[in-house]
Amino acid sequence: MSDKHLSSQFDADLNSLSSRLLEMGGLVESQISTAMRAFTQMDSETCDIVIENEKLVNDLEIQIDLACTELIARRQPTARDLRLVMAVSKAITNLERAGDEAERVAKRTKRLIESGAPHNINVAEIRLSGQMAINLLRRSLDAFARLDTTAAAEVVAEDRQIDEEFRGFVRKLITYMSEDPHMISTGLDMLTIAKAIERIGDHAKNIAEFVIYVAKGSDVRHIPHDDLVREANKP
Amino acid sequence: MKTMFDLNKIDSQGGRVETTNQQSEHAAINALEVRNLNFYYGSFQGLKDINLDIEQGKVTAFIGPSGCGKSTLLRTLNRMYDLYPGQRAEGEINFYGQNILEPNQDLNLLRSRIGMVFQKPTPFPMSIYENIAFGVRLYEKLSRSEMDERVEWALNKAALWNEAKDKLNQSGLSLSGGQQQRLCIARGVAVKPSVILLDEPTSALDPISTGKIEELINELKHEYTIAIVTHNMQQAARVSDYTAYMYLGSLIEYGKTDEIFIKPQRKETEDYITGRFG
Amino acid sequence: MNNLSSNLNPAVYAKRKRVNKIGLTLSMGAMLLGMVFLFWILGVLVFKGFSALDFSLFTASTPAPGSEGGGLANAIVGSLLLVGTCTLISTPVGVLAGLYLSEYGDRSRVASVTRFVTDIMLSAPSIVIGLFVYAFVVAQVRHFSGWAGTIALALIAIPVVVRTTENMLRLVPGSLREAAYALGTPKWKVAFMITLRAAQSGVITGILLALARVSGETAPLLFTALNNQFFSTNMNAPMANLPVVIFQFAMSPYDNWVELAWGGALLITFAVLGLNILARVVFREKVQG
Repeated sequence: MSDKHLSSQFDADLNSLSSRLLEMGGLVESQISTAMRAFTQMDSETCDIVIENEKLVNDLEIQIDLACTELIARRQPTARDLRLVMAVSKAITNLERAGDEAERVAKRTKRLIESGAPHNINVAEIRLSGQMAINLLRRSLDAFARLDTTAAAEVVAEDRQIDEEFRGFVRKLITYMSEDPHMISTGLDMLTIAKAIERIGDHAKNIAEFVIYVAKGSDVRHIPHDDLVREANKP
Repeated sequence: MKTMFDLNKIDSQGGRVETTNQQSEHAAINALEVRNLNFYYGSFQGLKDINLDIEQGKVTAFIGPSGCGKSTLLRTLNRMYDLYPGQRAEGEINFYGQNILEPNQDLNLLRSRIGMVFQKPTPFPMSIYENIAFGVRLYEKLSRSEMDERVEWALNKAALWNEAKDKLNQSGLSLSGGQQQRLCIARGVAVKPSVILLDEPTSALDPISTGKIEELINELKHEYTIAIVTHNMQQAARVSDYTAYMYLGSLIEYGKTDEIFIKPQRKETEDYITGRFG
Repeated sequence: MNNLSSNLNPAVYAKRKRVNKIGLTLSMGAMLLGMVFLFWILGVLVFKGFSALDFSLFTASTPAPGSEGGGLANAIVGSLLLVGTCTLISTPVGVLAGLYLSEYGDRSRVASVTRFVTDIMLSAPSIVIGLFVYAFVVAQVRHFSGWAGTIALALIAIPVVVRTTENMLRLVPGSLREAAYALGTPKWKVAFMITLRAAQSGVITGILLALARVSGETAPLLFTALNNQFFSTNMNAPMANLPVVIFQFAMSPYDNWVELAWGGALLITFAVLGLNILARVVFREKVQG
């Protein structure tokens, strides 16, 4: 039995869903990249670009969700096809929220710029975790495209590192803010930015979990990591 | 061990084995157990080594492409194939423990315990009342009022009473297609069998009649064990508790309907239900 | 509009229309030819036999040679008796045989032999059958009788009933039988109470057609019931009947005899016509109901 449906239109519709998801993912990726660049360079115009493009992300979410609903209404998909549609519908929510986080980074950066605050907080951690978050998101979308569960399991594991970085940065911030109360306002903005990046990592992790759901049929959300790896590696 | 005659005691449960609450939590009782069943049309083998259980009080659906053997399997369960020389079955089919493939099995009695409704509605050439009374009279002696009650009960079970109560003396053929099929179901239910076999019961009907009959199946399963053959996968998904996928005479996969339609074990099953026929 | 008919070849179409017209004309012509003769016969019958239609036709018996007037009362009653008793015998025998052939005897040797014999008897010359009954019944008891006539007629009617019953039963869809079996109905009940009942209008039609056939048979009666000049209901003795009376009277020199012969022919024809129409009506009603 081949991999194609009897109905070529059905095949086309499913493929279209997947590729639009990846398209949205690419857009969100570039939003995050741009936001991080804006933060690193403290450039207000770059911030505006991110804020401006946010509505594109929202539009895509609505369009793709509609496509999912139409597919269900017309085709009554089952098994693998059903899981794919369900996963796409949930993944775009994660992507849209990741996009919101990117916008949040841009807005806070803009505030930092406008408040003219001194930049003597070492923000290496933020830059680093920003890179890691982008990398994770790219890899989770890649795993989704190939339905590669091993790669997906790795993404889930590495999200922890972002969480660690975040916690480290929080401790550092607390130190700074307690030493110099004038830094508190800036510090809180930084905290928000760091938190946004940490959340982006979580969203990437969720998308990776859906990859395992589609490919293996197991819902691996909220289960211990060892069990997740086991499900991912099942034949 | 229950004999056919024990099961013949007509009660409101239709002869099923009673389970205590404790029992029903753990052990499922099987109305029919098929073991190593092979079936031949002359020299052609229609069924290959079938092993499966049909659980009491549940709906089991059989799906698969044309020629996969699902109707053949259904028709072995009430030994319908016996009407045609050249068709034979080997193996065991245990009906509450009794092997019905044994040569000395009383076929008429068996078929009164395992009823069947066919794809084409076939009302007998008599009044609606007589259609239902006919089967009952074969094995029971009821007074006129008892028979009236039974006819009303059966028509109610088939959701046909309101439409038919004013024309019980009219010919069964005066009903619409969907109504005729429900009459056939009422006829089958009236003799209070333990198992009801449905062979593509809604293939010839419009969507509304189909819906009514699916609703009926949903209600009947509380008191009867039902096995249904359907080529409509969505119907199998809607009405059944267990689904069996068959292909070229073999049983490919059998499991809970939810699992089969969300996460089937075999690729062949998944390919069939998602429409990847190659 | 051009798009719609661009691939139609006018020459091909015109030829087809021509052929259609020719075919239609030929079949209409054939039909008219048949109708002409039918109405001609009926017309002649009515014309010639009408004058014989009066009350005395049904009350008076056949007149002696040379005597005036008379009627056909004894022949009418005799025919009714003969055909009636024939029906009483041939219906159960024929229907049961047809039932056997259709429901029980699909593969057996006995069944195929029975069918073969039935087919032969269907086309056996009726005079041969008459002669047979003469040899085995009349010659044995040394006198003609109504019973012998009944037997001869039955031998003609039974194959017809067997054949039509079997054919009508075979038309009953197998799914109906299966539905009955699925309830646990034993085979004989399926055959009698379901299959036969489903085919009943067809079977009745077959019986009526057999009746119509034997009503007009003359040759067998010549050797068996013969004729009786007087009114009698004694089946053990020669029995008056319409076909033989017509035979006897038609070529006679007596005017009143000839007139009575035409009257009898008219009666028989319309009786047969009536039976055929009845058969059709019965069949159509049941099929629609």
